[in-house]
Amino acid sequence: MPVAGPNIAGEPDALPGLTGHDRISARREKRFATALLAPAFLALIATTTFPLLFLIWISTQRMDLAMPFMDGFAGVDNYRQLLADPRFWRSLVLSLVYTVSTVVLQVVIGLALALLLMKMKRGQTLFRIIAILPVVLSPAIVGMVWRSFMLTPEFGVIDYLAISAGLGSQNWLGDPTMAMISVIVIHTWQWTPFAFMVLLASLAALPDEIYEAARIDRAGAWQRFIRITLPLLRPAIVMVIIMRTMVALTAFAAIYVVTAGGPGTATEILNLYAYRKSFTELSLGYGSALAVALLIVTLLISAVLFLMRRERAA
Amino acid sequence: MKTLRSLAISLAVLVFIIAWVFPILWSVLNSFKTEQDILAYPPKFFFEPTLAAYREVLFGSQSILPNVWSSFVISIGTTVLTMILAIPAAYALARLRVPGKRGAGFYILATQMLPPVGIIIPYFLVLRNIGWMDTYQGIIIIYLSFSLPFAIWLMVSYFEDIPFEMEEAAAVDGAGRLTTLWRIIIPQVKGGIAVTVVFVFLNAWNEFLFAVVLSGNTVRPVTIAMFNFVSVEQTLWAQLAAVSVIAMLPVVVLGVIAQQHIVKGLTVGAVKGGGRR
Repeated sequence: MPVAGPNIAGEPDALPGLTGHDRISARREKRFATALLAPAFLALIATTTFPLLFLIWISTQRMDLAMPFMDGFAGVDNYRQLLADPRFWRSLVLSLVYTVSTVVLQVVIGLALALLLMKMKRGQTLFRIIAILPVVLSPAIVGMVWRSFMLTPEFGVIDYLAISAGLGSQNWLGDPTMAMISVIVIHTWQWTPFAFMVLLASLAALPDEIYEAARIDRAGAWQRFIRITLPLLRPAIVMVIIMRTMVALTAFAAIYVVTAGGPGTATEILNLYAYRKSFTELSLGYGSALAVALLIVTLLISAVLFLMRRERAA
Repeated sequence: MKTLRSLAISLAVLVFIIAWVFPILWSVLNSFKTEQDILAYPPKFFFEPTLAAYREVLFGSQSILPNVWSSFVISIGTTVLTMILAIPAAYALARLRVPGKRGAGFYILATQMLPPVGIIIPYFLVLRNIGWMDTYQGIIIIYLSFSLPFAIWLMVSYFEDIPFEMEEAAAVDGAGRLTTLWRIIIPQVKGGIAVTVVFVFLNAWNEFLFAVVLSGNTVRPVTIAMFNFVSVEQTLWAQLAAVSVIAMLPVVVLGVIAQQHIVKGLTVGAVKGGGRR
């Protein structure tokens, strides 16, 4: 499967034989291209770059919708407060726990399913369609379905299963640890089919000859997996990890619907904390500083992942 | 050995089906139950189906039809505006000599790094100041922040697949650049446009964070309106299930139609995901 993104950074194929007439047409081409690009770029600047600069400015302000008379320039006060804020550090840890656990689960389960189902001769289309269902749904709806029909004590199906298994009814979303596990499971449920689809497509694109050669070498199934399949799949796996990490760090809707960050702050990942600070507690200045912190964390993590990717590609 | 393996495969298949189909199927089943059936213990798999819940959520006092309408206006508006901006830009990036092309590509990618929770704060302040809270234009313009980079990337990949000879032949014919783009190039990427439209629509339909902050009584998509059916005192289970199913329907239909392209749509600009979840 062609997993690489489109090569828009590459130069266009050189057209042979540039003459003077062509040079004029080249200039016209540039002007034409600029006219085509300008509207989209203006829209992007207005909806992404401008808000970013504004966000950074807000983060240096004291801005409280509940106490507007206190508003004013705060310099780095919000950031100083942030570094000393245990709730911030806790939310950062929760973000990392949430991200690492959901990404690892998605990759491991997705890969296992892809390896097993690859062997199937018929019915792959059915599985592709089943795998598409969770992926296209709104995380808000997924959260609502799980929260109500799966996890509600003495009503949801999971709770029914727990009672039937003799574990008794559980407070799936009311107990801090259980709530965290629940939101991790829900995210994993929704996005594992994505990892499955990408990895299945990559597996299907691997050349058969390599396996034939390995079979002649009498390599066992496990050996073949470790020494051949895994290294060949590595680019696809790394890509899935990068994509899913970025999404997990900014996961919002499902957690918001299921627990809203609670009970207390038990499922309050950094993203949720920034939201609650800004729109529940109405401290936009401090909320902005939290959002900037999230941006920095995202950039750091993606830098590490990209370095990993380059190293492995080399 | 062989039977063991096929047993393992069958088991995986079974787990797969139960784990991923059941929560959706269960919501669908619940939406056809009476409030009495839905509360039955143990859960009922066989029951007399009724359309009562649908009748109530569609035509009852708390009808969600205005919210479905909201969702459609937002999603279609976002899709149209995104495509108008993205198609020319993607064509220029894919096929023309543009100064600073590398930088432009990187910029589009970098905009996707911004956490939505960060940019919603300035959006909120600006829209409140210009009186665009709870308006379609406010939400639709802001949705460009995630739909536009995604659509440009996806369209670039389709434009790159067209042979260069097409444009050259048209240029020899003396056709102007805009005419060439409109008459020759666009028809070549019809399929790509359709796929991009599906994904942009899907992402707009599913968006939640911006909608939660910016929506009000006028503009209130289904994903927000479903909270009407959940309250501390009482949850209307069957109606909640019916609303969930109604909200799922358009995206499931689109997803199944576009199933051949879903992996491409999900991994485009692979360095960072397209979807905003």
